[in-house]
Amino acid sequence: MSSFLKIAFSSLEQIAARPLFWTGMIIMPVLFIFFLTDEMKEGLPEKAPAGILDKDHTSLSRKVTRNLAGMQLVEITRESDSFTQAMNDVKSGRTYGFFLIPENYQADLLAGRSPVVTFYTNMTYFVPGTLLYKNFKTTAVYTKAGTITNLVQSATGAGAEQVTPVINPINVVAHPTGNPWLNYSYYLNPGFTAGVLELMIFLMTAYTICEEIKRGTSRSLLEQASGSIIKAVTARLLPQTIIWCVMAMAMESWLFAWNHYPMNGSWLWLTVSTLLFVPACQGFALFVCCVIPNLRFALSICALTGVLAFSLAAFSFPVQSMYGSIGIFSWILPVRIYFLIYIDQALDGIALYYSRFYYAAYFIFILLPLTMMWRLKRHYATPVYLP
Amino acid sequence: MSNIFHDIARCFSAAGRVYGRELRNIFHDPGVMLFFFFLPLAYPVIYSLIYDPELVRDVPVVVVDADRTSLSREFTRRFNATEGAQVIGYAPTLAEAKRAVDSKEAFAVLEIPKGFERRIGRNEQSPVALYCEMSLLLRYRALLFSMTDLQMSMGAELMASDIASLGVESIASAADPMPVEGIQLGNLQSGFDSFIMPGVLILILQQSIILAVGMLGGAKHEDPALVGYDPINRSFSTAVDMLAKAGAYITLLILPLIWLIHFVPLIFDFPMAGNALEIFIFLLPMILASICVGYVVQAFCSERESIFVIWVATSVAFLFLSGLTWPRYALTPVWRILSDLIPATWGLNGFILMNSNGSTLADVSEQWHNLWILLAFYAVVAWAVQRFIIRRATPCGIKKK
Repeated sequence: MSSFLKIAFSSLEQIAARPLFWTGMIIMPVLFIFFLTDEMKEGLPEKAPAGILDKDHTSLSRKVTRNLAGMQLVEITRESDSFTQAMNDVKSGRTYGFFLIPENYQADLLAGRSPVVTFYTNMTYFVPGTLLYKNFKTTAVYTKAGTITNLVQSATGAGAEQVTPVINPINVVAHPTGNPWLNYSYYLNPGFTAGVLELMIFLMTAYTICEEIKRGTSRSLLEQASGSIIKAVTARLLPQTIIWCVMAMAMESWLFAWNHYPMNGSWLWLTVSTLLFVPACQGFALFVCCVIPNLRFALSICALTGVLAFSLAAFSFPVQSMYGSIGIFSWILPVRIYFLIYIDQALDGIALYYSRFYYAAYFIFILLPLTMMWRLKRHYATPVYLP
Repeated sequence: MSNIFHDIARCFSAAGRVYGRELRNIFHDPGVMLFFFFLPLAYPVIYSLIYDPELVRDVPVVVVDADRTSLSREFTRRFNATEGAQVIGYAPTLAEAKRAVDSKEAFAVLEIPKGFERRIGRNEQSPVALYCEMSLLLRYRALLFSMTDLQMSMGAELMASDIASLGVESIASAADPMPVEGIQLGNLQSGFDSFIMPGVLILILQQSIILAVGMLGGAKHEDPALVGYDPINRSFSTAVDMLAKAGAYITLLILPLIWLIHFVPLIFDFPMAGNALEIFIFLLPMILASICVGYVVQAFCSERESIFVIWVATSVAFLFLSGLTWPRYALTPVWRILSDLIPATWGLNGFILMNSNGSTLADVSEQWHNLWILLAFYAVVAWAVQRFIIRRATPCGIKKK
């Protein structure tokens, strides 16, 4: 057996024998990917707990309450008698907002005294706050439109078909292309599951490479590879690359085939991206190990970037809105590339031409460690462990 | 009697020894120092800087105007003037506009069909289409909010003149028969940084504690020659040991805590409506519970670095379970129970209510009580783990390799 295969097999043995390896490489990613997809399988969170403060108690105000209760995303869980009580519900986290119908609402409305309808939403919680805001506003606007229609109709005798366009002369139709369901998991999960995979690849690669130095076994590894650091490292990481590729493919199938995430483009190019993503992540971690060949520091840097990637790769807040000096760092993350390719090739399904640079970027990540390999070799030859 | 006093004195001196030794161990271990100081000090700053622009503004939009009338131009101009949108140019056809979207020059297309103005003139409803590229929800949200505002304000103006033309002067003159007012609480500008960071601060606090305690647990198993300190742990009792160490951790955490709770929100202009003293009281059980979780996690740390592999990724799961990004009421029962078991869930929810909504300790008493219950639970588990599992594996604190 060649020395390359020998190293690769002993590396495989290590993965099988040490719980830390199979926990980090298989159990954790599977668990997290399942968790993320299962948690958000509803797509949009329904039934946000909300309160109603009806100070009018007339047929018209009760109709507003009924309309609110009929909305899919809102659930009226509290009926308060006073403003203080309604506000306390928000402050203690029992509700995410409330709708206030003022005293003499019906009488004022019919007399043309313009009663003010107010709603309060707690934007401390972004998602429920935004959803409540939208639903409260819709209810208020429809109520208003209905009221005006009635008033105009009774005053002029015009038919409803004449009045409706007057109430809402410009009708904006929004077309959320690619994700018309506004499904939350389609935004977050492809990025986040890949992010989890990236984080674990970073950590396990740094652990594998630098542990040799910590335990002082790096010298014999180097000798086994007849002095070639590239051969030693490649043989050491290859079994992991294969396992990670299997995991990444499983992730792709789980999301796009099993859970029917939007797939409007080409399976081939998404798969190519998935398979290049793995060595790109390994390349990044290996580069870190070459620059800082110390187990703890390399792991710390990998953990730091791996966790920051969830924000920096801009799965929620766009890079274009970040400060330029911060946003530029999104390009050092393989998961950012993966996310952009997912947008282009799966969600939007546009021509490969627009993603050409992203695929090229993967190769930069893969080849990056070659530039600093000499440094790792020096530390492999003379291993010193600093806690 | 004297016997009891004697025991108490012994107990205190033992606790003092453990306290001192733990502090020394921490100061001799750069890895643990990193978790205790670098993580809570630097991480919030980096994180806050990423989201510091707070809002998504001026999303580039391409306009396909097939109407080319003064009203359609007016509509475009006013859309351009909204906070969310920026018109970067006109395209002759939808296909041309799509090319701009595909090459990421724009993220939405506004299509004004032919006859836009004429329909309005004829008192018909006039449709306008907004095609949004959906890679990010925040962009869509910014565009949609701006568009809805524009639709309503321009609609109201047109409506007033239309109703007047129908001959109902009284309603047309009353500018708005039913004014609607939406008031946003807590995070007043609904900025993204102010929304996510206060919660993340608490998560960072919990994770730094657990990572540090976990790493200390791993160090105990390692060869003293490798780590550089004496791990032999002859102590008075497991419980006293745990308390004394917790005391050492809390001593070290005072500065990072003040930084996290007071200075980071101050620097980045997050809402700060809470009372600092009450917040500290509120967070105390969370900190203690996190330390106890750390004691439990020590059972899985056979060396200093294993904590990275088994714990770092949990931050993502905890963020989603906490109810900050995905609300807790939408969790399935299984995930809800898991979420209940994480100290940061309650700590974070209570903290953001106090910090952003100005809730008092009394308002968040439910979250506070849950933290104490969690603390009791983890303290018992941690004691059992420390007493029976960790000791048995390492009779005198050293595991021979």
